[in-house]
Amino acid sequence: MVSKENCRNEIRAAIRQLSDRCLYSAAKWAGEQLVGIEQDPSNFTPSNTRFQRGSSSIRRRFSTNESISTPQPSVGFSQAATPLPEEDETIDGDLYLLAKSYFDCREYRRASHVLRDQKSKKSVFLRFYALYLAGEKRKEEEMIELEGPLGKSDAINRELVSLERDLSALRSTGAIDSFGLYLYGVVLKEKGNETLAIASLVESVNSYPWNWSAWSELQSLCTSIETLDRLNLNNHWMKDFFLGYAYQELRMHTESLAKYDYLQGIFSFSNYIQAQTAKAQYSLREFDQVEIMFEELLRNDPYRVEDMDLYSNVLYAKEACAALSYLAHKVFLTDKYRPESCCIIGNYYSLKGQHEKAVMYFRRALKLNKKYLSAWTLMGHEYVEMKNTPAAIDAYRRAVDINPSDYRAWYGLGQAYEMMGMPFYALHYFRKSIFFLPNDSRLWIAMAKCYQTEQLYMLEEAIKCYKRAVNCTDTEGIALNQLAKLHQKLGRNEEAAFYFEKDLERMDAEGLEGPNMFEALVFLATHFKNHKKFEEAEVYCTRLLDYSGPEKEKAKSLLRGIRMAQTGFPSMDLEHFPI
Amino acid sequence: MAGLTRTAGAFAVTPHKVSVCILLQIYAPSAQMSLPFPFSSVSQHNRLGLYLLSLTKSCDDIYEPKLEELINQLRDVGEEMDAWLTDHLTNRFSSLASPDDLLNFFNDMRGILGSLDSGVVQDDQIILDPNSNLGMFVRRCILAFNLLSFEGVCHLFSSIEDYCKEAHSSSAQFDASNNDLESLIHYDQMDMEIYAIDKATEELELQKNVNRSVPFHLHTPEAIFKVIEGWRVSPKESSRTSKKITEATLVASASSSTVEDTLVDESLFLRTNLQIQGFLMEQADAIETHGSSSSFSSSSIENFLEQLQNLAPELHRVHFLRYLNKLHSDDYFAALDNLLRYFDYSAGTEGFDLVPPSADCSMYGRYEIALLCLGMMHFRFGHPNLALEVLTEAVRVSQQLSNDTCLAYTLAAMSNLLSEMGIASTSSVLGSSYSPVTSTASSLSVQQRVYILLKESLRRADSLKLRRLVASNHLAMAKFELMHVQRPLLSFGPKASMRHKTCPVSVCKEIRLGAHLISDFSSESSTMAIDGSLSSAWLKDLQKPWGPAVVSQDSGSRKSSTFFQLCDHSVSIPGSVSQLIGASYLLRATSWEFYGSALMARMNTLVYATLFGDHSSSSDGELAYLKLIQHLALYKGHKDAFAALKIAEEKFLTVSKSKILLLKLQLLHERALHCGNLKLAQPMCNELGGLASTAMGVDMELKVEASLREARTLLAAKQYSQAANVAHSLFCTCHKFNLQIEKASVLLLLAEIHKKSGNSVLGLPYALASISFCQSFNLDLLRASATLTLAELWLGLRSNHAKRALDLLHGAFPMILGHGGLELRARAYIFEANCYLSDPSFSVSTDSDTVLDSLRQASDELEALEYHELAAEASYLMAMVYDKLGRVEEREEAAALFKKHIIALENPQDVEQNMA
Repeated sequence: MVSKENCRNEIRAAIRQLSDRCLYSAAKWAGEQLVGIEQDPSNFTPSNTRFQRGSSSIRRRFSTNESISTPQPSVGFSQAATPLPEEDETIDGDLYLLAKSYFDCREYRRASHVLRDQKSKKSVFLRFYALYLAGEKRKEEEMIELEGPLGKSDAINRELVSLERDLSALRSTGAIDSFGLYLYGVVLKEKGNETLAIASLVESVNSYPWNWSAWSELQSLCTSIETLDRLNLNNHWMKDFFLGYAYQELRMHTESLAKYDYLQGIFSFSNYIQAQTAKAQYSLREFDQVEIMFEELLRNDPYRVEDMDLYSNVLYAKEACAALSYLAHKVFLTDKYRPESCCIIGNYYSLKGQHEKAVMYFRRALKLNKKYLSAWTLMGHEYVEMKNTPAAIDAYRRAVDINPSDYRAWYGLGQAYEMMGMPFYALHYFRKSIFFLPNDSRLWIAMAKCYQTEQLYMLEEAIKCYKRAVNCTDTEGIALNQLAKLHQKLGRNEEAAFYFEKDLERMDAEGLEGPNMFEALVFLATHFKNHKKFEEAEVYCTRLLDYSGPEKEKAKSLLRGIRMAQTGFPSMDLEHFPI
Repeated sequence: MAGLTRTAGAFAVTPHKVSVCILLQIYAPSAQMSLPFPFSSVSQHNRLGLYLLSLTKSCDDIYEPKLEELINQLRDVGEEMDAWLTDHLTNRFSSLASPDDLLNFFNDMRGILGSLDSGVVQDDQIILDPNSNLGMFVRRCILAFNLLSFEGVCHLFSSIEDYCKEAHSSSAQFDASNNDLESLIHYDQMDMEIYAIDKATEELELQKNVNRSVPFHLHTPEAIFKVIEGWRVSPKESSRTSKKITEATLVASASSSTVEDTLVDESLFLRTNLQIQGFLMEQADAIETHGSSSSFSSSSIENFLEQLQNLAPELHRVHFLRYLNKLHSDDYFAALDNLLRYFDYSAGTEGFDLVPPSADCSMYGRYEIALLCLGMMHFRFGHPNLALEVLTEAVRVSQQLSNDTCLAYTLAAMSNLLSEMGIASTSSVLGSSYSPVTSTASSLSVQQRVYILLKESLRRADSLKLRRLVASNHLAMAKFELMHVQRPLLSFGPKASMRHKTCPVSVCKEIRLGAHLISDFSSESSTMAIDGSLSSAWLKDLQKPWGPAVVSQDSGSRKSSTFFQLCDHSVSIPGSVSQLIGASYLLRATSWEFYGSALMARMNTLVYATLFGDHSSSSDGELAYLKLIQHLALYKGHKDAFAALKIAEEKFLTVSKSKILLLKLQLLHERALHCGNLKLAQPMCNELGGLASTAMGVDMELKVEASLREARTLLAAKQYSQAANVAHSLFCTCHKFNLQIEKASVLLLLAEIHKKSGNSVLGLPYALASISFCQSFNLDLLRASATLTLAELWLGLRSNHAKRALDLLHGAFPMILGHGGLELRARAYIFEANCYLSDPSFSVSTDSDTVLDSLRQASDELEALEYHELAAEASYLMAMVYDKLGRVEEREEAAALFKKHIIALENPQDVEQNMA
């Protein structure tokens, strides 16, 4: 196990180096992890305890959970610690200091101009980085200036060409450091050269693992598990963070959870890890747990906006209006122009049934970030509610084109087309969504319903779908009931009885009652009576007698019939038993 | 959706337009003199004016020429003052040093316009009328410039810099060794002229022998092309092949150049919505015309479309183009993906101009069109059941949304599907869906359903005035009438009076009705002309007047003719219309083929190939070639057919789903059978079978053809019972899939098999059945050949039936001799001789000439066919006759001939080697 003290020292140094190079978000991330490590009691200061107090309560609440699920992986932290690179200059040059302050004031071009003749690695990196950011800034502006009638978006970062040339020259002479490699990777990625970008980023993180930005870029390039497995990465605890993140994006939630559990051994109070765990749990639909985790998270870090859209989704699913409005209000006060904030407000309005307003906020979120996947999907849902199917389809399609494996959007597309009375067309989309999430019974049931529509009436296919749904542990219990009914409709009473029995078992286990129960009981009683299995029939009949209503009468007459048949009288009662 | 809401068709200032403005300033300086400075004559001045007029007209085209191209064109226009013009142009550009200069420039531009109400214009003053074409252009430019924000002006400025830089760099590249720019241009230009003259003369030569293709075009620079194109004063007479290649390369080079240049050229590239729509329309036509032939690779289009999509993400039409492209390169998954994406984004409301926009459609979208397209896609990829299911849904949805137009199209597509794909019984497929239209006919057979669907579609199309659909429905109806026996629809059963016939008159009527389309279009001309070809037609024509000027100086007369050409385009017939009309000619050819007039069939095919070849889709063009080659094979023998096949192969083999391969196999098989080379015939036949899809109901024609040939091969190998088995099962398949006409020929084949196996009694009913089939379908030629077989059967029965057989034969003779192929004629002649010889009342010695004449005819025709078996028979009979007559010398000759054919028949491989 890597000692916590080592970790702490590494991160402390890294934060300094990262912020020297103006890699602020990486520095921020590292800082979060630094305070996430359990404080050693020796340098216990009152300011530190602030973090400790809240966090420990999470540990208490989940202590049962953790004690089971933290088997230490055998591989462990056996990796050799990567030595911290020495700074190449102990005293920063004056020009560097000036440039950095320009950079901090977001005057990127000025910063890079000041550093034009500097030779130290730090200055060189800062010059390139400032140039890159200047290009990005100009690109964003041009995007708006040049927007034509057809949504032109061909603005490019005009510095990329020169940056690539200079950086590759640096690289071939070997004068490039790990930060330069990171920037080189980013540039290559923007130019569409993915393999080289991956190579460059891997080199960068292997020589300097503490740059989280490099890891995130690398993750965004790992679109399949094969690419991920092919990476040749040194062992370091940062790699575990990376893997956890990458697994999550590849929808391997349990693997990702295992990684985070393990990391929590060291970074016990890391908000980041907690948020990521919550994300994974959310994908596994453990809403109650996720809600508790987010509550804790907010208590520790009340001004956090990141990942809060997920929390709002949970609150939406649980229909917690008050909590959602509280969250929305808080986030709104913190930073109203974050896509997450807009999304949360949109969710709130959606829950309140004010779909136009919801759409307005989702639109705002998308204006802030055009590639904000969940906003497109949620907007699609809103349009469906507003019965504006073309707009809904458009929104869903955009989500799918941003991320083709977004099963929710595929499902939404299918639903929208089904709504318009085009079930056969919709089937294609349902198939797509199932392809990406084959273990979700809801999707199978939706597809089965599609087959069942009166336009298609392809019952055999519907039965197949319901069977798959049953295999995926259908929580709502629609599938069993439907299977039984379909078989009954097709005159296959044996199968129908089988599924009614199963459904009955399920309802018993969950303690449910309702019309489905009556239906099942009546069918089973009649079925067994017709097949002369009087004992079973009697059992079901007596169960029916417990309920009032027409079923009770039915049960009585059934029982009478059974008695008659049992005593050997020819069945001469006037009643017929329609199935 | 966002793309739809924004205003389309804005006019943007581009560097090219700035250069046009500069030229306009030269043309009409605000100075007061009758002839501005550089011009030496009024005609010169007018020439520039004309050139500028065509430049402004072509400004709506998608591609704007680069500065270099513009300078090249100027050279052709400017004659001796070209240097001055280019110098002025480049100087003017280089004098633009800051955005402010641009502002001043456009302020100056205002000066060349006359004021709207000024009556006092001096006689010798050149002033642009603000309401003229040129004046309007200037005004639009000024207005567009004034609307620009400061950022916009900056962008314009920097793109002008790129525009000039590019011209410099490319001309510098042209000859890097020569640093002196002045002399470089001079040299360059001389070279050009010589080159152009060279090529032009070459072109003239080429036009003389039209049929040779012109591959050198692929390597000549584009500028020269345009110069050369000027030579074609009347494009209709010029060679078809070379024009096609020209177009293809134009497109290809254009797209490749954009691919390279997009990084520099983006800001120039994006045009108004309308321009791009027109351009895309044109591309779609091109994809259809060329299919995936080699000169038009689908990947280059794909690349180009990808670029376009990056540039204009809201232009959803691109997805549809990608779909079309993928469809033609047979990539099912990508095609499906793009089709769905297109409709998801556009809701079917963008780009489908066949539907007049109505108020209610915007709310719900037009997803029924998506279903229609999806159905047609499944049809093309050979999934008939899926296609039917989707189309049924399309019918339902368009009924629900009362979109009658779409309904009419869908019904037409459905009937097309049902008639093309051999769907054994629709009840299994359609039974599950309840659609008012389709379910009324649930008890009817497939062809009745096709009939109902067609009628229904025709009625709707007629009332909606969808002329193209009406025409194509008429054609489909003609096809239906041709292929199917008409029966009264509702009173069905044994008692109903049956008009058990096809009716050639109604076929003819339908075809004629279909062809009415062309007159409809010439009378109402412009409403349907949103065809995309129009906007770019201007640019293509632009170069025409200037080409000759390079070579010959008397350009006055030509100029007037170009005006007519320009006007001509506004009434030109859209490609889709001429394609439909072409299809009607093809259908005519096919119907004549069935009815047994070889000449008429050939004539109609030739009409098609000469008049409509340019506009046709590649598959239609291929079909025409196919028909002509088959005709050659039947009437001129195999040698000619193979020669023609070679030409067609070069042209069409790269087209996807090419039928050329099929034809080649057929021809090879036929020849192998004739030569008695069964070892070759068998694999050919197997390969034919392999071409057909394994899916049930798809490629029925091919499947029938393959088993027909299998039976014939077996027959030639004298395996009678197997051959009969194959033919029997084939008959059952034909019956199951309602292939009536094929049934007639299968019956004939069965009769043939029984005849060959010496079982004439069994053969008779088959022959009679075949004749009655032919009668009800009016298949005269097939009937004649069936009659021949019947006669042969009678003779085979007993020799004293010779008289009856001869009578039968003589009844069929006019048809056989008039329209029959070589083989049929030879057979008839030999059989006639046989009849005479076996007739006991006939004496050879007195009437030898009747016999010998027909035998000689027969052997002549068989020579061309290389049909050894029959040829041997003919020479044998001849030798016998000569023997009877005692003409020894001629007898020996005939015997030698007989021997030769027999040897050839026994050793087919030797003959092959000799051939090789």
